[in-house]
Amino acid sequence: MITGQGIVKTFKQRGNILGSREVRALRGVDFAIPKGGAASFIGESGCGKTTLGRIIAGLESYDEGELVIGDTAMSELKHKQRQPHFRKIQLIHQDPYSALNPTRTIHQTLHAPLSLRAKQTGRSKKWIEERAAEVLSLVGLDAGTVLARYPHQLSGGMRQRVVIARALTVDPEMLVADEAVSMIDVSLRLGILALLKDLRERLGVSVLFITHDVATARYIGGDGELYVIYRGQVVERGPVDTVIADPVHPYTQSLLSAIPVLHGLEQPGEQPVVPLEPLDQLLDDTGCLFTGRCPFRGERCAGERPLLQVTEGVPQEHACFYPERRSVIARPLSEV
Amino acid sequence: MPEQAPGVRIDGLTVVYKTAAGELPAVRDISLTLEPGTITGIVGESGSGKSTLALSLLNAVQPPGRIAAGSVEIDGLGDVVGLRGEELRKARGRHVGYVFQAAQNSLNPLKTVGKQLLDLGRSHGVEDLRGLVREAKELLGRMGLDGARVLDSHQHELSGGMRQRVGIMLALVLNAHLVVLDEPTTALDMITQANILKIVREVHAERGLTTLVITHDIGVVAEVADRLAVMYGGRLVEQGPTREVLGAPSHPYTRGLIKAIPRLVGDIDEAQALPGRPPTLTSVPDQGCVFRDRCPLRMDVCDTVDPAAVPLGSRIVACHAVNVKEHA
Amino acid sequence: MSATLIPEAASATGTIRRNFWRGVWRVMKRKPSRMAGVIICAGFAFMGVFGPMFYPGNLPGDANQITQPPSWAHWFGTDPQGRDVLALVITGSRYVLLCAAVTAVITVVVGTSLGLFSGFKRGRWDTVLMRITDMKLTIPGLPLLLVLATVWKFGSPIQMGLVLGLLGWGGVARAVRAQTLSLRERGFIEAARGLGLSTRHIVSRELLPSMAPYIAMNMLISVTGAVYAQVGLFFLGVLPYESDNWGVMLNLAVFQAGAMIQPNALGYLMAPLLAILLLTLGIVLVVDAMDEIFNPRLREE
Repeated sequence: MITGQGIVKTFKQRGNILGSREVRALRGVDFAIPKGGAASFIGESGCGKTTLGRIIAGLESYDEGELVIGDTAMSELKHKQRQPHFRKIQLIHQDPYSALNPTRTIHQTLHAPLSLRAKQTGRSKKWIEERAAEVLSLVGLDAGTVLARYPHQLSGGMRQRVVIARALTVDPEMLVADEAVSMIDVSLRLGILALLKDLRERLGVSVLFITHDVATARYIGGDGELYVIYRGQVVERGPVDTVIADPVHPYTQSLLSAIPVLHGLEQPGEQPVVPLEPLDQLLDDTGCLFTGRCPFRGERCAGERPLLQVTEGVPQEHACFYPERRSVIARPLSEV
Repeated sequence: MPEQAPGVRIDGLTVVYKTAAGELPAVRDISLTLEPGTITGIVGESGSGKSTLALSLLNAVQPPGRIAAGSVEIDGLGDVVGLRGEELRKARGRHVGYVFQAAQNSLNPLKTVGKQLLDLGRSHGVEDLRGLVREAKELLGRMGLDGARVLDSHQHELSGGMRQRVGIMLALVLNAHLVVLDEPTTALDMITQANILKIVREVHAERGLTTLVITHDIGVVAEVADRLAVMYGGRLVEQGPTREVLGAPSHPYTRGLIKAIPRLVGDIDEAQALPGRPPTLTSVPDQGCVFRDRCPLRMDVCDTVDPAAVPLGSRIVACHAVNVKEHA
Repeated sequence: MSATLIPEAASATGTIRRNFWRGVWRVMKRKPSRMAGVIICAGFAFMGVFGPMFYPGNLPGDANQITQPPSWAHWFGTDPQGRDVLALVITGSRYVLLCAAVTAVITVVVGTSLGLFSGFKRGRWDTVLMRITDMKLTIPGLPLLLVLATVWKFGSPIQMGLVLGLLGWGGVARAVRAQTLSLRERGFIEAARGLGLSTRHIVSRELLPSMAPYIAMNMLISVTGAVYAQVGLFFLGVLPYESDNWGVMLNLAVFQAGAMIQPNALGYLMAPLLAILLLTLGIVLVVDAMDEIFNPRLREE
């Protein structure tokens, strides 16, 4: 179980001599990812989802809030003491081309973390080699053909598999996959997604999936929770299928409406929501963060910020004063 | 200058790249017709030859590549494969507008958009530069931007979606009626992507264009295109009206691609991954079907004979298995 | 499957090393110019190490053969003391090359370690070290050397190399730091940290190899820099007279033998110049291959 409470992160942007500008990347985010479970963070780029993923993987610090890994609260530990906890959470980068060292063979890449483990646990050299072959076979690669190769000799899909294999060398409890398939050829994407899903089922690794594509989030973490993040705030949170089928926050509805409709196979939703303004970084910070773009804004929205809450008749949590279900997603023609 | 949407007829186009292993075809024997006033979408993975095909439309394939065979006839321009030097330069921009990948920054970071617009106008001998600026502002305004502000901006002051709109403006401002969009929404967010696609559709209709959209994302094509052409390993494996192809794909690759798209509703496990991986320039087999290694319908003939593109109702499909089934 | 795999993988490190040298050979063969460069450099190394052994400590002069033009007996003629110019070049090469090698090693070791440390640690250490580097970079090298030469006589090539090396690391440090800063943001460095690998591993195994072509190039280029610097100093005559040093030869050829007006002394002038030129050429030709040697993608293709 990995939980976060009120995580706040502010980046200082270098400004002019009059002072620097602060960018609020995360404004008090709560989340909980059960052991072996799944969660998905979705939102536009710049919404803070990547920062949150990096904080969870221990690659970024946070300013306020508490991160609890297992039963251990991170704020009570010193930097050095946190490392073993964060090692249980491995980040899968978006770009499989920069995630592998081009000057090292796959064997060298896997060998380093494995020999560290072997040293710590007093295992033999033979174990290292066996384990390397094992993690590769877990990700669907043949050790005999892959080990001696350099990253450039592998396709994007295979590289991403190696990256996942490398993460598995430390027996992680959770994989954080940040847009893990966006740079991979379309015909290979589902293979990687299926692999992550398979690892969840076989190894009991929980998966945190960070993406702007709701459908892939559903594919991997269909049984988990979906967190819709907008400008550093979770605006809707609930079981994936509930949020997809009956979104109540206008931002979630805009995201879902924007998904291309496969004409010929699907029929567009009846009430698509289009935000009024494109996303701009210099939006107002008072009131509801979505007010400026929201087609359904009401009186309360400009002055007051809605917090994530449960209201009557809505199964999921949401941060909207006027939640209303709208049918926005495309339905298969076969169902209509 | 054509005032109506031009038609384009690509016939038997082959583009080869010179490599250490000899000249290899990136695009092999492709025939495709863009009807005037339509939006055609070309879908393919990396290495499928889709970008090379798009560049051929401008005769802009760079060495070590060259157009080895075939012709590209554009109404009002003739066969662009034969065009050279100044003629070709004039044709680009005037007749054919090209919008580069969103991810790549095709704008000059040191100059404002307005300066680049004027450069474009001067290099094409536009006399009425004021008129050009007016036209650009109008186009930008049409796409929901503040024209004056955008023209005064540098590239870094614009968001990805805004840059893409600037790209579309630059492609259209010289009154080109054939527009090629290369990966128009890659690296853009969902909502921005939806906006851009809407703009592409609307501008296409308003200005009476012939549009070609190149993408790896079937969803993008499904949203905007009237016709869909699927490329694989340098071959055009299937083409036809978008709805028909999506609704009932014929070629096993098209079928596999559509099946591999995770969906928002229905059974999650309905999505199935395609086995194997796409060929690269060097691993494309020199005889037989390019898709056979990943194909569930593989037959003996696929190993030796490259399937010809055969009309099948409103579609053209290059697959032995499909043809056998149709004629049985 | 695993049974056949383990012995193969156990010797993997050895295989990789062997593959590396095979790759280097392949890269070198790709262009004849590179082979020429290697041969030239190897020739100079041989000359520096073994050359002086073929000659007596004090080269005999022939009083009848003063400042002779090139001939079959003396390929580059003789000097004003009647000694063979070629012999002078060869015996002088040891000082020049040893000094250059010491300079290159010091430049690269100091520059790389400071740059790596600075770029990897960042923060306060970085600021302090880079200010020192900036200050060092602003000190003009030649005037300082001239001043130093008045108090210190640079008797041995190692001393000379030490001084030149300590004057030369600034640029390398800056460049290595810049590379480190950009590399440390790369996914694979982040992943290594996430896996709990030691800083030593990250720096020596992940960062350094990525910078290897760069470091190797700097090393080779600082060899030529060091040769120019010391020859220049000796040519200016600010350092003690050593008759068989290339710089001293140039000085004598110009100011004593009058090579500018005296055609007979031309060989005396040309020989050290040609040696320097050839060495530079050899190094430039080899540098061309560095990128391909250390980049597996370019090496294996």
